[in-house]
Amino acid sequence: MEKSLFRFIWKYSSRQQIFILMVTVLTYPVVYFLLELPKLIVNDAVQGDNFPRAVLGFDFDQIPYLVLLCLTFLALVVVSNGLKFYLNVYKGRLGERMLRRLRFELFQRVLRFRLPHFRKVSSGEIIPMITSEVEDVGGYIGEAFALPAYQGGMLIVQLGFIFMQDPLLGLAAISSYPIQGYIIPMLQKKVILLSRKRVKNVRLIADKVGESITGVAEIHANDAAAWHSADLSDRLYENFKIRYEIFNRKFLIKFLNNFMNQLTPFFFYLIGGYLVIQGNLSIGALLAVIAAYKDLAGPWKLLLSFYQMTADVSVKYQTVVENFDPPDIYDTERLTDDDQVELSGDVKFESVSFSGGAAGQEVMDISLTVPANSTCAIVGPDGSGRSEVLQLAAGLVSASSGKVSIGEHDLDKLTDSTLGREIAYVGGAVHVWTGTIRDNLYYGLRHRPLVPPEREGEDLKNYKRRVNEANQTRNPVYDLAADWDDLSAAGVDDEEQLDAKALQLLEAVKLDKDIYRLGLQSRFDPSMNDAFADKILNVRKNLAGRIASEPALGGLVELWHKDRFNASASLADNLFFAVPSDPDITMDEVPDLEEVKSFLADTGFDVKLQQIGLKIAETMLELFSNVSGDSGLLGSYSFINQDDLPEFERIVRIAKSGHQRPGLTEADKSRLTGLAFKLVPARHRLGVMDDSLKDEVVAARKRFLEGVVKNSDGFVAFDPDVYLPPLTIEDNLLFGRARVDRRDARRRIDDVIRAIVEETGLRHPIIYAGFGYHVGVSGSRLSAGQRRRIALVRGLLKNAKITILDDIATGMTDDDKELRSGLRGILAGKTFLFGTSNMDIAGEFEKRFVLDQGRIADKG
Amino acid sequence: MTLETEVEALRKVPLFHGIDETKLRLLAFISDRTEYPEGERLCSQGEEGDCAFIILSGDANVLVQTPEGEKKVAQVSENSIVGEIAILCDVPRTATLVAANNMDVLTVSKDDFLKLLQEFPDISLEVMRTLALRLERTTRDLADARRGSSGG
Repeated sequence: MEKSLFRFIWKYSSRQQIFILMVTVLTYPVVYFLLELPKLIVNDAVQGDNFPRAVLGFDFDQIPYLVLLCLTFLALVVVSNGLKFYLNVYKGRLGERMLRRLRFELFQRVLRFRLPHFRKVSSGEIIPMITSEVEDVGGYIGEAFALPAYQGGMLIVQLGFIFMQDPLLGLAAISSYPIQGYIIPMLQKKVILLSRKRVKNVRLIADKVGESITGVAEIHANDAAAWHSADLSDRLYENFKIRYEIFNRKFLIKFLNNFMNQLTPFFFYLIGGYLVIQGNLSIGALLAVIAAYKDLAGPWKLLLSFYQMTADVSVKYQTVVENFDPPDIYDTERLTDDDQVELSGDVKFESVSFSGGAAGQEVMDISLTVPANSTCAIVGPDGSGRSEVLQLAAGLVSASSGKVSIGEHDLDKLTDSTLGREIAYVGGAVHVWTGTIRDNLYYGLRHRPLVPPEREGEDLKNYKRRVNEANQTRNPVYDLAADWDDLSAAGVDDEEQLDAKALQLLEAVKLDKDIYRLGLQSRFDPSMNDAFADKILNVRKNLAGRIASEPALGGLVELWHKDRFNASASLADNLFFAVPSDPDITMDEVPDLEEVKSFLADTGFDVKLQQIGLKIAETMLELFSNVSGDSGLLGSYSFINQDDLPEFERIVRIAKSGHQRPGLTEADKSRLTGLAFKLVPARHRLGVMDDSLKDEVVAARKRFLEGVVKNSDGFVAFDPDVYLPPLTIEDNLLFGRARVDRRDARRRIDDVIRAIVEETGLRHPIIYAGFGYHVGVSGSRLSAGQRRRIALVRGLLKNAKITILDDIATGMTDDDKELRSGLRGILAGKTFLFGTSNMDIAGEFEKRFVLDQGRIADKG
Repeated sequence: MTLETEVEALRKVPLFHGIDETKLRLLAFISDRTEYPEGERLCSQGEEGDCAFIILSGDANVLVQTPEGEKKVAQVSENSIVGEIAILCDVPRTATLVAANNMDVLTVSKDDFLKLLQEFPDISLEVMRTLALRLERTTRDLADARRGSSGG
């Protein structure tokens, strides 16, 4: 990678830089005429005589001549500003393109690092390098050549003028330059060193913050917050010190510069004055020189700050780039190559040694052969070199001496396109990506975009622009919107078969039940799959039939009925008999929706609900105000959490006082309404709902349906014949609420639902719906076991010729035993390497290699 | 069906005698109000108990396992508390409770009751006092019984 910023800029933007320079030169005459014209207007047009003037063969009288000159002036103003505008946009665009190229190059280099290199660098340091640290480079690139050229030109022109007036004065004008040229770079050098120090220190801070976030549970568990605070505070002080030092030097440079600039006139007055008195220089010439010198200050100042910025940005560039140039970085082809070599044959280690850089991470002189299409266990405790051998076999790390090969191919000479497709590796520390379960399952099939989407019109234009930009900045042109799933690699013909295959594997690793449960809790868009929605509605009917015919079952649920109040549901559900179409709207936000507000005001429910809310708030305050926040009572039973208690205390106090002022604000009223909405009468026996109020609620429902639901997309009405997208699949199946005043009603009704779902063959579609479940940041919404199983299915789905598992399903429980034999069944006829620390488990495999302290201790 | 009626019922329970009104209301609020149709079991003999039942309306049959099958030994009705020992210590249910007709029951779970005790130590004192009084009475009854049997 280019070590210096200027080489980087010149290499990738020399043509654009020359263009900028040329356009800049083009502005010279325009600016010159713009400055000359006012003089012409005043001297020639206003004060001149002997009219008419001949311009381009036309004769002009005084007034038309004035108009002509003024119009020319106007035109020049437009042209000059237009050129400036064009140039600025052009520079900005160039800077942004170069920045994109630089950032992508840095990211690609991160991907090209060998795995052991990541023991030396942390994401907390890398991230600010790629994001914020290079940001300034973008702004600088557009100016890199144009500014010194333009301002330098100005400076030379002005100096030339002074020299022409009098060489001695010219010398006086530049007399301070040598001193400045000597002192300023010297000071600047120190500033550069300090900037480097500062950048590294900030990186360290970023790293410490990142580490604290990752290890926050440890901090609390060990009461180490004080230590971390002290540590970070110390770093911040360090930062302050460096910054202060930089300020001192930077402003010293400014001070010196200003001082010198203002010192020069001293020479002018002295030498110039002497020359005028002696009669060697006219007074007019002296004044002109002084005026010209004033004009010098502008370009000089700009050049100086440009010089400082150049130093600053170059340092930043170097401090970033030097981190991305490890000597053993992979070739770019390792990532970009798309040739897939078939890896069949024995896995062979020929006196392989490897060191991860620490004890317990090395293997020495390993020679082994795993015959093709056999199963083999690599046995050894952690630190025995087991994981290293398996990573070597997967081509994830390279041998420092010796050779690892599969068939006749040396793994070190192969690219990701072969290693990542022909070998499936699932290690002990799996990573689940932020996204849906589907994304994670099919992750191993997404190597390249396969089927581009059809685009037309505006969409096509946008796409072409994107590709063009990517080409200009040497970014990849892979289409994110394309279909990436490699169906043929998975051995299936279409998406449906792929889902079926994934399901089959999920069943093999016993993850299907979990995903079924997630599926019940998930929402799906019925417009995507009508048949599925119909089936759910059938189950709903079926269930309603059973509930009607079996009194024992009927007592457990309260189904939605448009003429009946549902005591097991919230007051909001009862009043609207509908749910917001956007499932992300919380109950606290509902009172603020426009349509809800006007509906409540029209029906007079606003006051009623506020009174209910007030009563609830009062009771909650009475019951819970003496309860401490950490007892758990507040969280599980109260409507109000600990933080909001004082807020409601205030609201109740104001409402009780009966004063008109200050009175309750709109926000307060909304909060009370929100409180009332959450009331579930059968659970919260607060005695605020009497029968007449229930009747009013039921009556108001119809008005809401007519007035709001029919005219707006904001709400979806409860309708037994319609699938309700904002509700979960489970709620859609039941179409009602399990009664809260019956013991275990939820569990008992769930059993019935599950039975009906099984009968009607809906289980699989629900599991597929569960594929859409979002797993949270890095799979945080899944358990560790679930994450490992998903990674396992991801590996199996690749259908690779060689499968390598390390520390997966290594328990002695019956479940794990069954899973292992299931895996051997699935991988029959393929090469299967299994890493474990348990000798007994190793006995299940055809071949075994036992590792101890990085050497093969036994084989069988 | 409001808190007030439940508080009234709780107040009649000897174990909660002496606990002040607001705390009884809190206890009532955090407890579950449950309906049982005729024939449904509230709890079964031998299983781990985790809640006490305060009968607000209806009756329950108390059944005990005998070699000849389950046998009704008693009936409990309105305003009585059943299984209250379970909310203080881990003991298996000594009998089975089956609803004799439609019942309305307030269920106080052990976890919630213990949380309440932690939160308000004065409740613990009251409960302790009640239990001590009961113990004292039991001891006296036992002594009387012994004296009676030895004397007679």
